[in-house]
Amino acid sequence: MDSLGTKFAALLSWERRKRREETLLAASSIAAALAILLAPLNFYLPVSWLRWLVPIALWVAVSPWFFYRARWRRADSARTLVRVDKTLRLDERAVTAWELAERAAAEGAGSLVLRQAEEKLRAVDPRALLPRRWRWPAFALLPLLLLWFALLWLDFDRPNEVRHAGPPTLAQQLREYARELQQKAKDQNLRETLNLGRELEKAAQTNLDAKGNEETLKKESAETADKFAAAAKGGAEKDSLSSGASEQNLKDLQAEIAAARDLLEMPESSKSADLGQRWGERLAALPQLKRQLEGGEQTGQGLGQNELKAFLDKLEQQVSGELDRRTVIDAQQYLEQMMKQGQGAKGENYARSGSGDEAEPGANGMREKNFNSQPGKEPGRQDQETRALPELRAGGSTQVKGQVGEGDSSALGFKGKPTPEKSTVSPAEINATYRRQAEQELNSERVPDGLKETIRNYFMSLGETNK
Amino acid sequence: MQTAEEIEQRIASARRTFNELRGELGRIIVGHQELIEQVFIALICGGHCLLEGVPGLGKTLMVRSLGEVLSLSFSRIQFTPDLMPADITGTNMLTDDASGRKVFEFQRGPVFAHIVLADEINRATPKTQSALLEAMQEQSVTVGGKMHRLENPFMVLATQNPIEMEGTYPLPEAQIDRFFFKLLLQFPNREELGRIADLTTAAAPAALREILDAPSILQMRQWVREVPLAEVVKDYAVRLVMGTHPLPKPANGSGGLAQRFVLYGSSPRGLQSLILASKARALLAGRPNVSFEDIRTLLLPSLRHRLILNLEADAEGVNAAKILTEIVEQIPEVE
Repeated sequence: MDSLGTKFAALLSWERRKRREETLLAASSIAAALAILLAPLNFYLPVSWLRWLVPIALWVAVSPWFFYRARWRRADSARTLVRVDKTLRLDERAVTAWELAERAAAEGAGSLVLRQAEEKLRAVDPRALLPRRWRWPAFALLPLLLLWFALLWLDFDRPNEVRHAGPPTLAQQLREYARELQQKAKDQNLRETLNLGRELEKAAQTNLDAKGNEETLKKESAETADKFAAAAKGGAEKDSLSSGASEQNLKDLQAEIAAARDLLEMPESSKSADLGQRWGERLAALPQLKRQLEGGEQTGQGLGQNELKAFLDKLEQQVSGELDRRTVIDAQQYLEQMMKQGQGAKGENYARSGSGDEAEPGANGMREKNFNSQPGKEPGRQDQETRALPELRAGGSTQVKGQVGEGDSSALGFKGKPTPEKSTVSPAEINATYRRQAEQELNSERVPDGLKETIRNYFMSLGETNK
Repeated sequence: MQTAEEIEQRIASARRTFNELRGELGRIIVGHQELIEQVFIALICGGHCLLEGVPGLGKTLMVRSLGEVLSLSFSRIQFTPDLMPADITGTNMLTDDASGRKVFEFQRGPVFAHIVLADEINRATPKTQSALLEAMQEQSVTVGGKMHRLENPFMVLATQNPIEMEGTYPLPEAQIDRFFFKLLLQFPNREELGRIADLTTAAAPAALREILDAPSILQMRQWVREVPLAEVVKDYAVRLVMGTHPLPKPANGSGGLAQRFVLYGSSPRGLQSLILASKARALLAGRPNVSFEDIRTLLLPSLRHRLILNLEADAEGVNAAKILTEIVEQIPEVE
């Protein structure tokens, strides 16, 4: 009778496993189908990538109900054994024997039922007797998942206006630019630029929310930019750094000020006797700072630590102010250009100088193809309605945006040879730059302490050799 | 306690006996194989049968032949409108005893036999019909305040004519419910009719051989009750019986016919008959357990006379067999 009990257990276990598999497939198919049906609602998800997890979430939501509904009950065991009886034509011997075995009441005719059932079921393989029968969920799951994947891949779960969105509107461009401006201001500690960026973003956002027209936005943006630019220009008149120095020079000066501060903050700097000597040595590697000190008719060697600190603070403030001022003016000019393009330039190129330097025609570089030489335009005919692209200067950081394709292609090529002319940067400045970079690296942990002095001496000797 | 081998031999013996009986009756009765089986099932279950069929189909012959092969006493009562209960049960007669005193002596009626053929039972008045009630249910008759036990085994085989309703008294529900089976005799087919002609117009066949005696029948009755019945099979029978009641569909799982045409469904006696008859069928088939097929096969003879249909069913020609067939089709074996 033990073997009969084992056989019943094997049969029922196999049926339970099949039930679990079927339930899993059904729940998965329903989850996939729901994911397809609910795909239009994916747009309301807070994060776009969450839409890829929707079927999993739905599966988690629906599967408990499926598994509860398909839970194994006593009637299922009876049904299974009735199926066994039908298949083997046992005339309900198996189900009767199963009940008798459970009740342990196999007396008289019951014992005969058990014996006959055992004989009939002895050689039965549950998997062969009750094979899997794939139902619709098994066949539907893969197509549904593929359909769902295709819908998401092709962005069919997004509203038409988003899926077929055209080029960004002027307000969107402005908002994007304002955000970039704010980021730049935060990185370089530019207070006025940050304020300008905020004002511009606010204006762009208001326009987007209210769906206002472009003219109002242009007007508001121009007013804001002009206001900040006027203030910056006014400040420049009072500032000694406003003329002459290029932006690169100002950035170098900023770095040199930071390097000089490091020297002052060293513990041995407190000894005023050594400070003058060390300051003199260091100053030789900081040309921009040296120039400023010479401009102020100072060498620094006669100044105390506090006085040097005060000087550096003031100088840094002036440099930041100048950079801030120039960025604001650049922004104002860029905005001016952008507003001229307006929405009519949607999808066309717009370029801006990342360096913030004033755009000027490339003297030696010329555009390989102008706007009118692109496919779809008559060659050589000037399109009066087309605005001139902002002129770019080689060497600066340049960003080109737009689409490449038939018609108004926005791809731009620049070519030109550098003019054989005398370098505008002196070897002393190059050496100084090297020394400054070497000094920065030496202050880092990457250089072993034992080698620092050797490296420093090498870069110091570079300048002396040239001399 | 008997071993499995002994049980197997016992079942084989019952099957063999039944086959012999069927073969012996087949010498006299043409066709009606299913009917013979069902009558024998009713006998070994301790039940009574109501046979319905037009005259001349061999009802009486079959019952009499059954009595012969079973080696049981047989009596026939022809029911007529003027038949009195005492004509069936017997009566107290005033007689002289040995000392010459006048005493009442009970004279046993024809009901005191193992097999009683109540021919054309619906021709007697209800009063006379009800005289059989106690005999069929209690297997005893009470006359003059004294109870008299009937023979054991005791079986009533009543016949009635379904078409000749003039001057008849339809059996009351209480009486009908006491019949284990209601069996319908079908008209023989062409081949059977030819054989009937041969058998009845040639030389009389040899006398029937006795196959079974009363103690053997009582032994078989005991065996029938020992046949195991699975819970799922019993539940199937219960649901089928529930399906005969005009309940809302979710309660019994049957279709619309029972709800529409049945006035009262089967009584619990119907379920008892169905299950017991199924056990007997399994035994006669040489099986140690009851199958769904046993239940389905015996559903009609067990329940067809227990359904009380309404006038609408009469008007639309719907009978109990049609309703029961629909119930079998609609109720699954395992719920």
